[in-house]
Amino acid sequence: MSLFWQCIVDSLLLGGLYSLMSIGLSLGFGVTRIINFAHGEMIMFGAYGAYFASVLLGVDPLLSLPLVSIVVAVTAAVLFKALIEKVLNAPHINQILLLFGLSLALQNVAAILWTGDARSVATPYSLTAYEFDLLLVPHGRIIAFIVAAILIVALFCWLRFSELGRATRAVAENGQAATLMGINVSRMYMLSFGINAALGAATGAISSFLLTITPFMGFHMLVKAFAIVVLGGLGSVAGTIIGAFALAFAETWVSYYVPEGNGWAEGVAFIVLLFVLIIRPKGILGQAVAVH
Amino acid sequence: MKLRIVLYALLAIAAILLPLVAPPIVNNMILRIGSLVMLAISWNLAANAGLISLGHSAFWGLGSYAALLVANKLGWPFFASLVPAMIVGAVSAAAIAVITGRLKGIFFAIAMLALSEGLRVVAVMTPDFTGGGAGVFVDQALRPTTETVAMVTALCAVACAAIAYLISLTPFHYACRAMRNNESASEMLGINPLRFRIAVLSLSGAMASLAGGVNIWYSGFLDPMIGFDLHVTILAQIAPILGGIHTLAGPIIGAFATIGLSEATRTLLGEQGVSLLVYGLILVFSILYMPKGIVGTWNTWVQYRSRGAVGAKVGTTKAAPL
Amino acid sequence: MSSLIKRLGISVVVAGALASTHATAQDTIRIGAPFELSGRFVAYGAQGKRGVEMAVDVYGGKIGNKKIEVLFRDVQSNNQAAVTAFTELTQQEKVDFVIGPIASGIVAASVPAWRQSKPLWIVPGSSSTQLEDAMKGEPLFFHTYPWAYQYHEGTAKALADAMGKGKKVAIVYSDGAYGREQLPWAKEFYTKNGFTVVATELVREGAADLNPVLQKIRLTRPDVLVGIVQTTDAIQLAKQIHVAKLNIPVLVGTAYPQLQEWAQATGEAADGWIGATTYLPGMKRAADPKLAKLFPSLNDWEADFKKRYNREPEFLDVTNYTSAMMLLVAIERAGTTDKEKVAKELATLNIQTMLGTSNFVPTPGGAVHQAFNDMVVFQRDGDKFVVLFPADAADGKLKLKK
Repeated sequence: MSLFWQCIVDSLLLGGLYSLMSIGLSLGFGVTRIINFAHGEMIMFGAYGAYFASVLLGVDPLLSLPLVSIVVAVTAAVLFKALIEKVLNAPHINQILLLFGLSLALQNVAAILWTGDARSVATPYSLTAYEFDLLLVPHGRIIAFIVAAILIVALFCWLRFSELGRATRAVAENGQAATLMGINVSRMYMLSFGINAALGAATGAISSFLLTITPFMGFHMLVKAFAIVVLGGLGSVAGTIIGAFALAFAETWVSYYVPEGNGWAEGVAFIVLLFVLIIRPKGILGQAVAVH
Repeated sequence: MKLRIVLYALLAIAAILLPLVAPPIVNNMILRIGSLVMLAISWNLAANAGLISLGHSAFWGLGSYAALLVANKLGWPFFASLVPAMIVGAVSAAAIAVITGRLKGIFFAIAMLALSEGLRVVAVMTPDFTGGGAGVFVDQALRPTTETVAMVTALCAVACAAIAYLISLTPFHYACRAMRNNESASEMLGINPLRFRIAVLSLSGAMASLAGGVNIWYSGFLDPMIGFDLHVTILAQIAPILGGIHTLAGPIIGAFATIGLSEATRTLLGEQGVSLLVYGLILVFSILYMPKGIVGTWNTWVQYRSRGAVGAKVGTTKAAPL
Repeated sequence: MSSLIKRLGISVVVAGALASTHATAQDTIRIGAPFELSGRFVAYGAQGKRGVEMAVDVYGGKIGNKKIEVLFRDVQSNNQAAVTAFTELTQQEKVDFVIGPIASGIVAASVPAWRQSKPLWIVPGSSSTQLEDAMKGEPLFFHTYPWAYQYHEGTAKALADAMGKGKKVAIVYSDGAYGREQLPWAKEFYTKNGFTVVATELVREGAADLNPVLQKIRLTRPDVLVGIVQTTDAIQLAKQIHVAKLNIPVLVGTAYPQLQEWAQATGEAADGWIGATTYLPGMKRAADPKLAKLFPSLNDWEADFKKRYNREPEFLDVTNYTSAMMLLVAIERAGTTDKEKVAKELATLNIQTMLGTSNFVPTPGGAVHQAFNDMVVFQRDGDKFVVLFPADAADGKLKLKK
């Protein structure tokens, strides 16, 4: 019985992390129609940023999170201007390979700058937990959940109520019409790519005390974020959150109740993904049917 | 034209016989380039029909495991083991073609990525059958000489190239182009998209699995990280893109260029991390400044020379068909 | 960027220089060193290269009047690149001595390439017993790193001595080669020493949440938890065990509890962990009486290392330094570069090194030359290490975690 409630708690907490991890990717895709293969590296750079802020300056990852996100976002915007903008109208495969090359380069920049050593920030709250009877709620994970919730709500408010946010949605729905309405589409592209990166970096900052940081941590997270975004429906931000929690529940449940479940859990993600692609290629909440 | 074909045939024969006289390091290169030629042609074949795969390592890995398992568990020798490798590749590709139905573009790409990652998890989690994460050595007693494997690799690569060439002579490749551009239009032309899709993917899957199956006999060791390595997927894409996507010569030239670049960066840049960094950057810049690949760029240049500056823009896509 | 261009320039020059070495090959002693200098295992390869470089430098760069030339090759943490590098080193450069690589999957991928010409091969990594089996009876294969079972043999005995019979043990192992290979050995040795194995739980390499596994283990109320995972996963494992307050009195790791990398990342969660190793930072080990310059006392060596690289040495730095240095001494003593004769010298070296006495012995699994079998079982106590086993080296008693 205690395992059941613990399983629910673990799933929810993991779902929060997964939501934040994939929501930037989802937004970026919705607007630019480019799958950001370097998304994992945005997370990785965010994690290293928070790590060094903590080790060198003694700043807590939660405090350095805004600054780290901004720095990564600006860097990503520059990369967008310099490289990605040039392939906006190229075939998908060229875009994927360009970003893939970028991701390979960024991984190894990190390996050169900071070696391949595994790191993690050991903040006091990352090592403690609330205990209710036998139910365990780790402080680090609940804080991560709250941060993720705040950022996601902020993103929704921004998309719904701000001028720029509405313009972003307009571009996502129909780029050509948006151009006719006088929206500077290429600037919106850059902006959404920057936000994608900022959310990735925020995920990294949170991961810096929850998970292990290495130059190669990104790919693993990218593949999972992919699965989540497709599960929820490409381009649907709300669908992504549903996808994230669905995957978190499926993985955690398998981990708890299937022998050797923790090993199979990763496979579950891909089996679910394959099924969704077959039964409902649009994903749970996807509207974008005609994705070339 | 005839002269050209004779020339190519002679070149192919030379490539197949080269391992008999070449030093081991050259044989190593023949193996790596040869298997990449097969992978690249296989990937390009699917791409021609609008099926962009982000998980070609799935076929490579299935072929590797099929060849290894029939060798280690049933004692099948080198040549015999390649048959199940190809069949597994073709059958699984046909299954994928049916399952993914009309998925195109990014959806198909991600379905392939999911398949490859999923297969890796299965290989890791069934150690009694696959050897699991610890990996398995190919039965040393069954292994042929390096020269033999190199010759067979060259032969298979040549065969794949010949198949791609033969296809380009048939109306099949018009159907491909129609599929890639507009599936419903191709239906009106009387092409059955599903049967067509099954045919293209099975052929592609068989080629990639064969490459994996041959390779395992040279490398002699397999684990899930090697079999379903993302690196294989990437190489399978980089080679045709670098050489020239949707062209005949592109994947072949691209395979040479890819291995050449990767070896150059690996051996020249010994400092930690630098070799893969430079490799990544080369990829970025070749996509930016040479999006039509070596073949496309070459054709543009040739036409620019022969027609003068006016005709330059027209000829970029007129690379060899398919 | 400018430093990259500089590096590119240097590399081109180096490549040119390499190409011209064929002429002078007679006057040099050439050692092939394929390491993971990029890709997933770059941390291992970097330490391996550092150790070998330092050994050559300390030795003086020459044996007699022959220059020592180490041909470092990047295997990119990739099996195909490893085969190419190995083939190039042994068939093209015709080196007779090879040291590296380190990660078990990459070493395994190199074995078939090694068979082509069988140079003298020192492997300063890979605890895989499958490698041990594949290299059965090979007189030119030297292994200077513990095998999978060696981690558990001493630890299980030490714990049984300290805790008494009838205790329960739970094992967490990774789905990769590392965990799968060690699991049967861990089971065997703990059972043999009177423990009951109450749970064996698999964890995925790189999993985002290990709590499900820990909660299942909590229900079995073990007295000992053994974590057989790679360092990256061990960081998360230790943190999550700490968070979950499992109240397991004894926590045991494999190769990681002595690593500073691990301890820094886990903070106070590292306290009290038990590990087994051939090297502990700050351990007292005397210099070799005859070769004190090459094999100084461990503390002197650590000071020298810190001066050179401005960081603390890790286990692989020490292992690779020692392995390379032993090879150089063996070549000098053999007075020739004939690999059989050098192998004979290497096999009979009896030097007091930083990892213990360097005598190579055959293993139960059939490998001919295995060095450094004196595993030390220790427990972390704050920043200190308390040695628990073997009895003659012990300087403290097992402390149960609260």
